Amino acid sequence: MTPDPILTATGVRQKRPSVLQKLFSRALASNLSCLVVPGPEIALAHGLDVKAVGMRIAGTPRDASVLLIVGKLPEKMSEAVAVLFAQMPRLRAILVLGARPPSSLPGTDVSGDLSQAALIEAVARLKQVMAKGAFASSPEDFDSSVLHARTEYVCPMHPEVVEDEPGSCPKCGMDLVARETGESTPEHHHDHEHEHHHHGHDHGEHEDEHEQCHGHEDREHQNHHDHRQDHEPEHHPDHNHDHSEGEGHKQEKAETEYTCPMHPEIVRDEPGSCPKCGMDLVAREDMEDDGGGEEAPGHGNDHEHQHHHDHSDYDEHDHEHHQDDGHEHGHGHSGHEHGGHDHGASGFMSMIEVTKDLPRSADGLQMDWLEVPFGPVFPGLPGGLKLTLTLDGDGVTEGQAASVVGITSEGEEDGEMDANTFIEHLSSAMPLAPVSYRLLACLAIERAAGLEDDSANAGGRTGALERERIASHLGWLARFGHQMGFAWLANRASTLQLNVQAASKEGLIELEPSLQALATRVGRTPLLKARLRGIGVLPTGSSDLRGPVGRASGKGGDAWARLWQRLDEIPASLDLIKAAVEPELPVLRNIGSDVSGTGETTVETPRGESRLKVSLEHGQVTSYELDTACSHHIDLVAELVKGRELGDALVAVGSIDLSPWEVIS
Amino acid sequence: MYIQAFFVAVFGLAAIGFGVVVFRTSSMVRSALALLFSQTAVGCMFLAMQSEFLGVLQIMMMATEMSIMAIFMVMFMMDPGGLGGMDMSHQKRFSLGAGGIAAATAIAVALLSDWGPVTAEAPDAAMQTRELGFEMLGRSMLIFETAAVTILTAMIAATATAIPAREPANHDHKETSR
Amino acid sequence: MSIAIVLFALLVTAWFLAMIESWTATGRLHPAAPLLSGLAHLGRESVVPRTPDRVFFETAPVLLLVAAMLGAAVLPLAPNLIIADLATGALFFNAALAYVLVALIMGGWGPNGAYAMVGGWRFLGQLIAYAMLIVMPITAVAMRAESLVNTAIVGSQESLWNIVYQPLGFVLFYIAAMALAFRPPFDLPTAEGELAGGVDAEYTGVRLAVLRLARLLLVVTLASATTVFYLGGWHGPLLPPWAWSLIKTLAVAVSMLLVGHYLPRIREADLLGWCWKLGIPLALLNIFIVGLLILVVP
Repeated sequence: MTPDPILTATGVRQKRPSVLQKLFSRALASNLSCLVVPGPEIALAHGLDVKAVGMRIAGTPRDASVLLIVGKLPEKMSEAVAVLFAQMPRLRAILVLGARPPSSLPGTDVSGDLSQAALIEAVARLKQVMAKGAFASSPEDFDSSVLHARTEYVCPMHPEVVEDEPGSCPKCGMDLVARETGESTPEHHHDHEHEHHHHGHDHGEHEDEHEQCHGHEDREHQNHHDHRQDHEPEHHPDHNHDHSEGEGHKQEKAETEYTCPMHPEIVRDEPGSCPKCGMDLVAREDMEDDGGGEEAPGHGNDHEHQHHHDHSDYDEHDHEHHQDDGHEHGHGHSGHEHGGHDHGASGFMSMIEVTKDLPRSADGLQMDWLEVPFGPVFPGLPGGLKLTLTLDGDGVTEGQAASVVGITSEGEEDGEMDANTFIEHLSSAMPLAPVSYRLLACLAIERAAGLEDDSANAGGRTGALERERIASHLGWLARFGHQMGFAWLANRASTLQLNVQAASKEGLIELEPSLQALATRVGRTPLLKARLRGIGVLPTGSSDLRGPVGRASGKGGDAWARLWQRLDEIPASLDLIKAAVEPELPVLRNIGSDVSGTGETTVETPRGESRLKVSLEHGQVTSYELDTACSHHIDLVAELVKGRELGDALVAVGSIDLSPWEVIS
Repeated sequence: MYIQAFFVAVFGLAAIGFGVVVFRTSSMVRSALALLFSQTAVGCMFLAMQSEFLGVLQIMMMATEMSIMAIFMVMFMMDPGGLGGMDMSHQKRFSLGAGGIAAATAIAVALLSDWGPVTAEAPDAAMQTRELGFEMLGRSMLIFETAAVTILTAMIAATATAIPAREPANHDHKETSR
Repeated sequence: MSIAIVLFALLVTAWFLAMIESWTATGRLHPAAPLLSGLAHLGRESVVPRTPDRVFFETAPVLLLVAAMLGAAVLPLAPNLIIADLATGALFFNAALAYVLVALIMGGWGPNGAYAMVGGWRFLGQLIAYAMLIVMPITAVAMRAESLVNTAIVGSQESLWNIVYQPLGFVLFYIAAMALAFRPPFDLPTAEGELAGGVDAEYTGVRLAVLRLARLLLVVTLASATTVFYLGGWHGPLLPPWAWSLIKTLAVAVSMLLVGHYLPRIREADLLGWCWKLGIPLALLNIFIVGLLILVVP
C-alpha cells in the first residue's frame, strides 16, 4: 500500500498548514502515545514491544494520539473501539496490526502484520504521515451508529430512577435531569466522555467551534437556572392557585400543621416563626399512617412547585403518583401540597428525611451512588473485561464483571469445521493462552479420533505449555504491577515475558537467574505486602476455584497468596521444561481423513483447568463443549468487590487473573 | 497609603463578591469554594493591612477548612452539583433584616468610634510575628491551651459518638439464645 | 532581576525533571524531550467535557501552577536570590501549597466525570493524613532558626544541616512532601491503574500542558523546600551558593521521581492509619527532641 500523505480526515485538525503547525506536527510525530486495543497484554502476548519503537502506552483515549489495534476484534469490542476513537482528541491516527480495521472505524492510517518488524515499519510510516499531514483545511466528522445517543431522565438523588420522559422523581419528587446514553450498547470507556463526544468533539469541528458548542451548552444551562430564579417570584400567585387546588383535593385526608425545619418538636397550627431559632415554620401534612414527628418536612418543595408549574398537564397524574409513593416510602410529601405558603423556607431540606430511604453502604453513610464503568479498555484491567462498579465515594457498594470478548457459544457455531481450522479457531480466540488451547484442541481431537496418547511428542508439548505458563504469569505480573502503580515490576515483567515467549529450552534455562531475581526483588519490595495482604480473600475449598487461584486458597486465599503462588509456579515450570525436550508448538497428529467419535480432555492452562469435549464426524468438528477456569472465576468478582475500597476492589479483581477471552458467554 | 487603601478595598469587594456567589449558585461545591475564596480575600485584606502573620494564617487555614466543608456537602447533601437548580437562600426576610442591621451596626461603629491617631509606622512583619508569639505563649497561653485541649476533646468525643456501638459477644449470645 | 533568575532556575529544574520523566516512560534520554512533548500538547485539541463546571475546569490547572510558583517564591536560591523574603516565609509556604488541594478538588469536580471526581476527593482524604506531617517538621525547623524567615532558616544550618540535627523531621517531611506532590507511591488522585488518570483524565491539549508543567513545578518547589529546610540550602564548599541550591534541589527532585518507580501505590487506609498513629507522634517527638537540644546545647 502506498503511504497516504494525509491522515484520515476524521483525525486531522482544521488549521491551514503553516510553519507553526509544521512544528506542532513534528513534535507530535516524535511524541506518539498509543492506546492499545484490546489491551497492552495482547500486544505483549503477540510479542510486540510497543515501547521499543518509541511509543508511550497511554492509559486513556484522552491521552492517546494513536489507536493501535492488535489482531481481530470481536464485534462488541469494535463498537467500544469506535467510542474510544471518538474520545481521542485530534490529532489522532489509527494503526491496525494483523487484521482488517473494524467497520465501526473510519478506516486506517497505517496497517501492518502482527510482528515487531511490521510494527517498527508501520510506526516509522505513521510518523511521516503525522509530520506531513496533521493539519488540513477540511476535516470530517466521525460518526458511527454506535455513537448516537438517546436522552434519558434521571433523578439527581436516586440514580436508580431512569425515565424516558421528563418529569419528576417518584421517590422524592425532584425534577428529573436529562442525561444521554448510548443507543445500542452502553460499552463506553467513560460514560460522560461518551456523552461529551457527540456534541462537543465531533460535531464541533475544531477547537473554537467546539468550545462554542460547550459555551452554548453552558449558557443553556445557565438560562435554565436564571429562568427558574427569575420565575419564582412571579409564579407565586400562579403557584398558589395551583396549590389551593391541590389542597382541596387533599383536605379530606390530612390536616396541616407547621413545624420548624430545625426543631421538629415545635408544632403549630398556624404559620409563624420558631420560638427556638426564629426560623419560619414550614407546612406539613399530618399523615395518618406514618410516624409523623420524626421526619422534618418540606423537602424539595421547590422542585415540586417548579414541576407543577412547568408541566401542569401532568398534575393530576402526578398527584396520585406522589400519594402512593408517600405512603409506601413513608416520605412526607406534604411540602408538595402545602409548602407554597412560605416560599422563603421551601429551599431548606432535611438530610435526615432525604437520605432516609437511600441504601446504606459498608461505612454506614448514605450517599449518592454512582455507577461507573471500568473497561472494556481500562488501564490495569485486561482489555475486554468490563467491570461495572457502583461507587459510593471511594468505596464500591457492588459490582459485576462481564466479558466483551468472550468466546461466543459452546455449541456448533459456524456449522461444521475442519479439524485444523477448529484448532486455529480456538487458539486464536484465546490470545492470552493460545498454546494451551491449541494443545487442548489437539488432544481432544486426537482422543475423538481414537488415537492413543503418544509419549514421543508429549515432551515438546509440555515444554510449550510450561513456557506459556511462565510467560502468562509474567504478563499477569506486568499488568498487576501497572495496576498497582509499581512501574518497575510492570517494566521488568513485560521485558521478561517477551524474552520467555521467544526463548528455546536453552534460552529459558539462561533466563532462570533473572526470573529468580525478579521473585526475590518482589519479595523485598516494601509496601507490597501491606497492599495485598487480606485483599480479595476467597473462600477455601470452593470447587469453582481452579489453577493458581485454587492452589493459593489453601495458603491464605488473598491477593498476596496468589502473587506468591504464581511466582512459585515459575521455577516449577522451569523444572518441567528442563526435564522435557525442546518446546514445540502442538500440531495435530495425523488422524486420518474419515474418523468419527467424541473425545474429552483437560489441560491445565495458566489460569486453571480447561475441559473440552469434541464431536468429530468424518474428520469434521460438528460440535464442542468448552469449560474454562475464567468462566467460573468471573462470577467471583461480585463478591470480591463488594464493600471494598475502590483500589482494593480493583487489586482483588486483578489478582485472580481473569482472561476475558476465556469467558464463555 | 493610598495604594494600601486601594488594595484593601479591592480585596474587600472581592470578599463580598465571592460571598454573594455563595448564595447565588445552586451547586453546593461552588458555594463552598466561593466561601473559601471569600475568606482568602479577607486574608489578603489582612496582608494589605500589613498584618502579615494573620493574613497568611487565614489564607492557609481556610483552604483546608472550606475544602473539608465541601466534601461534607457532597457527602451529605442531595444534588451537590446543583442540577436541580436549588435555591441556596432561605428565610429571606429574616436574613435581609439581620444582614441590614449588622451592616448598619458595623458602619456605625466604624464611623462613630474614636480610632485615635493614625499609627505612623507599624512594626515590621518579623517584629509583629515575634510579638504575637510572645503574646500567645505568655499572657494568653492558658486561654489557647484550654481552647486547644477542648477542641481536641470535642473531636475525639465526636468521633467516638459516631462509631456505632459494637458488642459482638452480646450479639452472639442473643442469637444463640433464640 | 532576582525574580528572573529564580524563575529561570525553576524552569531549568523542571526541564531536567521532564527529561527524567520521559526517560522513565520511553527509556530514551533526549534533551529536547520536554520541548517536543510541550509542543505536542499545544498541537492537540483541547477538549472540554460535556456539561463541565466550566469555572472549576479552567481554573484548576492555573491555580495549581500559581500555588506551586507562590510556594517557590519564598524559598531562597542564594542569600539574595529570592523573590520575596517574607517574615513569615515558612508559614507562607504552607499557605501557598494548601491551594494545591483546592486546585485538585476543582480539577476533580470540574470535568463532570466519575474518575476525576473520585480522584479529587481522594486527595482531600490523603491531605488529612499528611497535612500535619508537613507543618510539624517545619515547626521544629523554625524552632532551631528561631525565625520563620526562610533565609534565616538556611543561615541556622551553616554549621550543621538539619538533616543531621533532626533526621526524624527530615524523613517525615520528605514523605509528606511526596504525598503533597502526589507522586507515586502517593499518586492516589491520579492513579492510572485505578482511576484511568483521575484528575488528569479529562485534560487535553493546552490545559494538559499547563497541568503537567504545574505538577513538575510542584515537585521542584517541594524539593527546593526540602533543600532549604533540611539540606542547608545554599551552603556548600567550592561552588557558588546558587549552584549548591540547584544541585541539591535537583537531587531531591530526582529522588522523588524515582522512588515511586520501585514501590506499589500505597493504600489510602494505610496512609491515614500510619500518618495518624505513627507519623504524628513521631513529629511531636521530633519537636520535643529539637526543643531539648535547643535548651541543652548552647
